Amino acid sequence: MTLGDRSRAETVALFGLGAVLLVWIIGALVDSSVYFQPILFGLGTGAIIAAIALGLVVAYRASGVINFGHGAIATYITYVYVSLTDTGEYPVPPLPNPVAPIEAIFNVEIFDLPTMIDLGDAMGTGMAVIISLATAALLGLIAHYAIFRPLRYAPVLAKVVASVGIMLFLQAAVVLRFGARAKSADPIFPNDPVDFLGVRVNQDRFWLLGTVAVVTLVLWLLFRYTRFGIATRASAENERFTTLLGFNADYQAGVSWVLSTVLAGMMGILVAPVTGVTPNLFTVLLISSLAAALLGKMSSFVVAAAAGMALGILDQQLFRIEFEWEWLPDIGIRRALPFIAVALAMVIRGEALPSRGAVIAARLPAAFAPRITRWRVTGYVLLVAASFVVSVFAPFQFRGAMVNSMIGVVFALSLVVVTGYLGQISLMQMALAGIGAFAVGSFGTAAGMPMLIAMPLALVCGVLFGLVASLPSLRTRGASLAVVTLASGLAIEEIFFKRSGWFGLDRTNKSSDPPEILGIEFGPSSDFFLGDGKIPTGGFGIFVLVITVISCVAVMRLRRSRLGEQMLAVRANERAAAAAGVNVAAIKLTAFGISSLFAALGGVLTAYKLGTYSGALFGIFASLTILAFAYLGGISTVGGAVTAGTLFTEGIGVVITNEWFVDVGPYTAYVAGFFLIATAVYNNEGIDGFQRKQFHHVVNWARAKRGLGPLDELAPTAVEVADV
Amino acid sequence: MSEHLLSIEGLHAGYDGVAVVRDLNLFVDAGEVVALLGPNGAGKTTTLMTISGMVQRLAGSVAIDGQTVPRLRQAHKVRRWGVLHVPENRGILFQLTVRENLELAKTSGKVDIDIALEFFPALGPLMNRKGGLLSGGEQQMLALGRAIAAEPKLLMVDEMSLGLAPKIYEDLMPVVRRVADETNAGVLLVEQHVDLALEVADRGYVLSHGDLALSGTAAELLADRHVLDASYLGVESLED
Repeated sequence: MTLGDRSRAETVALFGLGAVLLVWIIGALVDSSVYFQPILFGLGTGAIIAAIALGLVVAYRASGVINFGHGAIATYITYVYVSLTDTGEYPVPPLPNPVAPIEAIFNVEIFDLPTMIDLGDAMGTGMAVIISLATAALLGLIAHYAIFRPLRYAPVLAKVVASVGIMLFLQAAVVLRFGARAKSADPIFPNDPVDFLGVRVNQDRFWLLGTVAVVTLVLWLLFRYTRFGIATRASAENERFTTLLGFNADYQAGVSWVLSTVLAGMMGILVAPVTGVTPNLFTVLLISSLAAALLGKMSSFVVAAAAGMALGILDQQLFRIEFEWEWLPDIGIRRALPFIAVALAMVIRGEALPSRGAVIAARLPAAFAPRITRWRVTGYVLLVAASFVVSVFAPFQFRGAMVNSMIGVVFALSLVVVTGYLGQISLMQMALAGIGAFAVGSFGTAAGMPMLIAMPLALVCGVLFGLVASLPSLRTRGASLAVVTLASGLAIEEIFFKRSGWFGLDRTNKSSDPPEILGIEFGPSSDFFLGDGKIPTGGFGIFVLVITVISCVAVMRLRRSRLGEQMLAVRANERAAAAAGVNVAAIKLTAFGISSLFAALGGVLTAYKLGTYSGALFGIFASLTILAFAYLGGISTVGGAVTAGTLFTEGIGVVITNEWFVDVGPYTAYVAGFFLIATAVYNNEGIDGFQRKQFHHVVNWARAKRGLGPLDELAPTAVEVADV
Repeated sequence: MSEHLLSIEGLHAGYDGVAVVRDLNLFVDAGEVVALLGPNGAGKTTTLMTISGMVQRLAGSVAIDGQTVPRLRQAHKVRRWGVLHVPENRGILFQLTVRENLELAKTSGKVDIDIALEFFPALGPLMNRKGGLLSGGEQQMLALGRAIAAEPKLLMVDEMSLGLAPKIYEDLMPVVRRVADETNAGVLLVEQHVDLALEVADRGYVLSHGDLALSGTAAELLADRHVLDASYLGVESLED
């Protein structure tokens, strides 16, 4: 077992134990008659967290992926199981109907693809479990062969994006098939209450605990002592060496994936009766599980399971403390627990996660900086002019969509800077946007400052939060950083957006006055002299357009500046950059600062657009979705950000499709998830890079016809030639 | 006609369709040590990689015991033909213990660790140490020990002396001879140290810029030392 050296594992275990004990003692002081209650109540949650953490570790060992979709896989399988036991129907994931275009054109109904396959009456538990777990195994095979095997040598970013795609896709599939309502499942374990140490507790908690313990033990033995286990660990370290020894690394990874998804499904089914099932149940718990898995360094099953249990118990204990000691200021500590655990994991386990010794590591998508030509500038001007016309004169639904898209562009730009240029993954962008939105409400409306002061102040707040939250990036990178930023985003959401107070909710919502410059209001419902006067009015469109255009130009200039070059140097190789005299820490913080600025700007625009809003808009799923769209558009170019904007939720692309073609509304997340996976696996430059390459092919083909050589700018660069 | 253990005919090997090794003919018999020599960039490692399937063959045939090894998409299958390749960087898994490293000598069936210990008794006390904590010499012993425990028909060792003190590889080199003598395996040895390699080898091939420049028995090669040297320096100097 790759426990690192033993002393380190012991340190972690002691730390965890110490934390649990401390909180428990405090809890005992609160009410000494219930020493054990939180522990017993925490067993259920702890078991789920531990089980998901185990699956994460297996998947990581299989293919070096921190699988953000793991929770969604558990959820999907659980829903399959619930559906089978409730009605005997097997859900079919939504598939595109090949005859849909014909149906749409001729306005006829030819046939519908089935949404459910009826397998007879409500099924018995055993049969349902078998079918569900078979589905889980199939998902594991698909995940391996269609997604993560092709991504073997891909940069971490592509793997993270693909797993986020899995999450969005499966979660959307669940919502499409079952709706967002919670469901209940029949218990598998006996759940009669028992008296234990003076506490009445449902006995299924103990069964769960036992199952997790057995699974942990089995996994530990498997990876510690069997040749399959040893060889899998060996392949994780160096695939090439094990291949020379005759082991099929690919097969091992496939088996591990199946193991991981079946484990996810099994735990989901066992846990569902305890918690009830909601579409994002396990994804919410995923952060705690990630923390537990990280504490186990993504390789130790025992530490991961123990940490998971400890987190569950701590959660219950903190819940009790908050409940009993009402005078304690509500600082949201319980909700920030996963974040604290992740931060702790990073401090203790500061060293990099064990990475897979891939044969070749592929590059991140090219950060293409087009040469500024007359044609290109003309194109930009035309695009801006068209945007202006749509924002001001188009029918109101298109104007609204245009505003959404432009805000989406600003969000995507924030990721272009930090992910495209700097090469770091940030999953907290929407939380920073929320800080911008809540701050502008606090400064502008609550404190009554004029917009020209409130808005910059809000942006400063966003940048400050971004800088603090990005401090871990100085020590961690890649997938670990992705987890840290996700946890930071969650902490910001829980601590600031769900409670009242400064930067918090006014009561149940937050509100902001419309922007006003020199006495002219530019809000979405302010009167404006151009356009038809419906909401959003042209004034707001112009306001957003100006800001978006400035942002785009700024990021384009950043790419060409010395600072931009330095960011790319850090992205390519931190050590080499440092050796070449780049101050890596300063560049990273600067990039995160700039990125936070754009995120907060997007948040401020969202605040102005809505006037009244809540924290739900700025949750971790929104952050993941933003990354999805930005990657889909093209993560490393401004053109990609603009493309991302058109695809954005309720954006111009979606509204045009809805108005003129078919209503894709409910399928947006589903389709986006699918294309996200496809983009990550087969076209990592996103839509922008794809169409640029096609365009270059056409131009060079035309030049070749006229006997001209390929354009310098369009020819593949030396780097590309070198690593073909 | 008796069949060679390994026979390579008209092999073209390289990367992305560009041949680095051209038209190579080579054979190794059972119980024989054959040295593959040549300056840096001659294509020695590429040749071994191509035999073990890690690099796709461009043209030519590779046969083991007279049976043609098909061009495989999956390199791990070459191991089934009894080929074991100790790569240049030794192939030690740093996160695994010495015992676990040895355990990977075979994909199925029991691994007789004692075989490795018989050749390298020094590994005995190191059984529970992580591979990454071994010294260079110990790692090379482990790599060779694992290869021997794998009981291969054909053992290919790439640059055994790389990064090791002369004292150490001078001790290791005779082991290769012993493997061939005692287990009747064929050994294909890639080496920079010509004299050292030819001391234990029966025959040798010299590659230069991807072409076969010279071949013969070890004694012949050593006798015509100036020809051997010339092939290292380039074909032109032969004509002087």
